[in-house]
Amino acid sequence: MSGDPLDATERDVVVVGAGAAGMSAAYAAARAGCTVTIIDANPVAGGQYHRRRIDAATYRPRGCDDEAVWRRIHIESATTVYAVEIIDHGTQRIFGVRTRGDDRHRRDVDLVRARRLIIATGAYDRPLPVPGWDLPGVMTGGGAQALIKGSGVLPGNRVVVAGTGPFLLAVAQAILEAGGSVAAVVEANDPVALRRHRSALTNVGKAGELARFITSLTRHRVPYLRRHRVTRVHGDTTVTGVTLARVDASWHATPGTDRFIEADTLTLGYGFTAQTDLPAQLGCTLQVSADEGLAVTVDDDQATSVTGVYAAGESTGVGGVDLAGIEGLLAGAAVARSLDHPSPLRDEPALRRSRDRMRAFADALATAFPLRSGWRDDLEDDTVVCRCEEVPAGRIRNAITELGAHDARTVKLLTRAGMGWCQGRVCSLAVDRLCPRSATLDGQARAATRPVAIPVPLGAVADINLQSRRES
Amino acid sequence: MPEIIIDGRAVTVADGVTVAAALMSEGIRSWRTTRIAGNPRGVFCGMGVCFDCLVTLNGEPNVRACITPVEPGDVIDSQQGTGHDGGVS
Repeated sequence: MSGDPLDATERDVVVVGAGAAGMSAAYAAARAGCTVTIIDANPVAGGQYHRRRIDAATYRPRGCDDEAVWRRIHIESATTVYAVEIIDHGTQRIFGVRTRGDDRHRRDVDLVRARRLIIATGAYDRPLPVPGWDLPGVMTGGGAQALIKGSGVLPGNRVVVAGTGPFLLAVAQAILEAGGSVAAVVEANDPVALRRHRSALTNVGKAGELARFITSLTRHRVPYLRRHRVTRVHGDTTVTGVTLARVDASWHATPGTDRFIEADTLTLGYGFTAQTDLPAQLGCTLQVSADEGLAVTVDDDQATSVTGVYAAGESTGVGGVDLAGIEGLLAGAAVARSLDHPSPLRDEPALRRSRDRMRAFADALATAFPLRSGWRDDLEDDTVVCRCEEVPAGRIRNAITELGAHDARTVKLLTRAGMGWCQGRVCSLAVDRLCPRSATLDGQARAATRPVAIPVPLGAVADINLQSRRES
Repeated sequence: MPEIIIDGRAVTVADGVTVAAALMSEGIRSWRTTRIAGNPRGVFCGMGVCFDCLVTLNGEPNVRACITPVEPGDVIDSQQGTGHDGGVS
């Protein structure tokens, strides 16, 4: 921890999230002369990519190395923002940022005032349901990485890494480097499409990273199965193996290609969901991103559609840690300028060009690893789709075919799918894609609207001024 | 290295780990059963999003094991159902 104690005094800028985007944004704004507080849910800064043990050295983004600047930044770790509101709509523009302590201190609620808000809340894994995916031993790829990076603990002894996208390679690599064993990497798409983007890969400096991943898999003799999918997870109280099948371009399993692989752990991940809770609360314009998920719409300055609210990193569309850092710097600089401070960045036009190039590459990557629909064939009537409320696929299908539900919202009201602890963060994509009217901006945005982002004491909910969120 | 108690058993775990990692390093993969079907659950998202890894910590139910660091003297109990119906083992 560094900087001033958090008190009732107003900050120029509150940054939500201490990953690459948030830390870069805070540094840029503070360097320009703004007072900055970062609020982050994790015990220590770093976000997902730079997650580290609590006793490890403090995370500093590349190039953000003036410790005098960091001493002016207050980092409030182990603290979650559960709601944001606009206290003053005038030219002063004051935001109220409502926070809650971690799970040990969850009754500790507080209010921080800020003139500007930078949303850098990152993203989380996008799993899809499959029979047996609720067994202990099935986890997301990001979850497996978090165990390794944050605690030095392997997710299991013999792991199948499944889903789609280059992140599967990063997960497998992390397990191998930590001394674990990977039984197979199971990729639903055919990354041969990536060849078309070879020059882009080189251009954004990703070719070397990809080569290292592939070398690592080869050295450890880990099979990389393209156009394959895990269609069933076996086990009684924990995972004992998975069934794989070859799939066509729509991810439908090819009959007769089933094969059993022994494993005690399965990681799942079909890309990521941008964490858009707070911008959705404030009414910021959202858009469907290249990976068919939601993202906050931002302009060239990383400004959202709501005056005074900026966003950087994965919340503006999943694009990786390097892009997140650059977006953070640009957001921090734009916020500083809006508060009449000079830009702290030496070559902003060059940073903007890098950002645009990396964003274009991220979008191309998302197109090379699309989300297809064949996974729906696997679901049996008793396959749990909503893990919190334990809603099986059969009840969701019944709501659609017998009760006439066309969209995820109606299914939710009829079945409780998406109404539990996680508020649909895990199942809303699957529920949406099971509906006749799916993949719409409106439908996805409704599912992502959470007036309170995490559970808080009832009294704290009563304090939230929902009306304030409307632009005056 | 913090000493903690897991389901009544005293263990020593590595410094700076989460409650979930402490449980997993003891070979425990599930520490909760669900409200309706009573099915076992453990870590799923690993980053505080899914609430699958809920555990009873120092008598307080429904704590996310994956994002809560262990502190010396912690008493960790697996939980059943809502965590409020005396289901602590």
